[in-house]
Amino acid sequence: MTILSQALRPAALSAAFAALFAFAAPALAQQSGQRVTVTGEISDSWCTISGLMFAKGTAHHQCAIWCALGGIPVAIRDAGGNLYLILKIGDDEDSAGNPRVAKLATHEVTVDGELLERDGVKYLLVDRIADDKGVITMTHEEHGIQPFGN
Amino acid sequence: MRVIAAALGVAALLIAGTALAAEPWNIPHEKQAVLKGRVVDALCQLKGRCAPDCGGGKRQLGLALADGTFRLVAKSNIDFAGATSDLAGYCGREIEADGLLIENPAVTLFFVQRLRERPDQDWIVADRFKADWEARNGKAEEWWRGDPQANRIIAEDGPFGIKGLVPKPKP
Repeated sequence: MTILSQALRPAALSAAFAALFAFAAPALAQQSGQRVTVTGEISDSWCTISGLMFAKGTAHHQCAIWCALGGIPVAIRDAGGNLYLILKIGDDEDSAGNPRVAKLATHEVTVDGELLERDGVKYLLVDRIADDKGVITMTHEEHGIQPFGN
Repeated sequence: MRVIAAALGVAALLIAGTALAAEPWNIPHEKQAVLKGRVVDALCQLKGRCAPDCGGGKRQLGLALADGTFRLVAKSNIDFAGATSDLAGYCGREIEADGLLIENPAVTLFFVQRLRERPDQDWIVADRFKADWEARNGKAEEWWRGDPQANRIIAEDGPFGIKGLVPKPKP
C-alpha cells in the first residue's frame, strides 16, 4: 500500500458511503403503485393549473405542444379534474421535453399503468396507450388559439 | 439609540426579506416558498429506477426535502419551460430554490424562479432553458415559435391538432 493510497483511504471510504447512501435513499423511498386505467385529455400541468389561459381542446393544442417540448410535466386530466403526471410511457422514460409525448398534446386517451400518489401528486407510469381518439374537444371557435392567438 | 438601531435592523430584515421573496404570479393556490432539498429525478425517487445524471435533463426532477417530502419542480422562469435545465447540473446535491409552491387540490407543484447551493452564494435566476435552447437553435425572441420540433408537429397535425382544420382568415 502506498503512502498516497493510505492518505486517500478516508476520503475514498467517505465517497463510497456517500455513493451508497445516494442509491439507498431512493430505494428506501420507492413505492408500490396501484394498477389503473385512466381516460382523459393529455395536457401540460402549467396551463392546466395556472388559470392564465383556457387549457382544453383545440384552442390549447399548440400551447400544449410548446409546454411539453419545454419540459413542463405533462398530465392526463380525467373527467373529474384529476391530474395524473406522466413519468414514462412503455419503455420510454424521458418525461421532460419528449417529442413523442408532445405529439399527443390535447389527445383524448385511455392508458393502463401504475399510479403512485406522493405529497399531493398523482404520478402515472404508463404501460400502454390502450386508445387514442386524437383531439376531440373543439374549443377554438369560442376561445381562439391560446394564449397569443395565431 | 437602541430602539432606533433595533428599528433599523427590523427595516433591513424586511427589505432583505422582500428582496429574497419570489415574484407572485397570481396563480390560484400559490404561496411564496424557499425549499431546501436534494435534487433527484422523480422516477428514481419514487420507483428506484435511476438514470445517470438524473436523466441528463430528460426526466422530471424535484427536491427531496429533509422531512421526507418530495416536491416536483415543474416550471422555471422561462415561458412554456420546465426546470430540468436549471436543476440537472445539481443532480444529487443540496440546493435552495426560491419560487412558488402551488398547492392546488388536483396537484402540488413547485415553480422555481432562482436557486443557489449555499446561503453565501448569489441567487441564480432559473432561466437556463433559454440559453440551452439558443445554443442548439440560435437566438430567438420567442423560443417556442422557433422550435423545430414544435413547428414540425404543428405542420403535420395543424395548430388545432386535427389535420385540415385551420384557423379562419382574419377579417
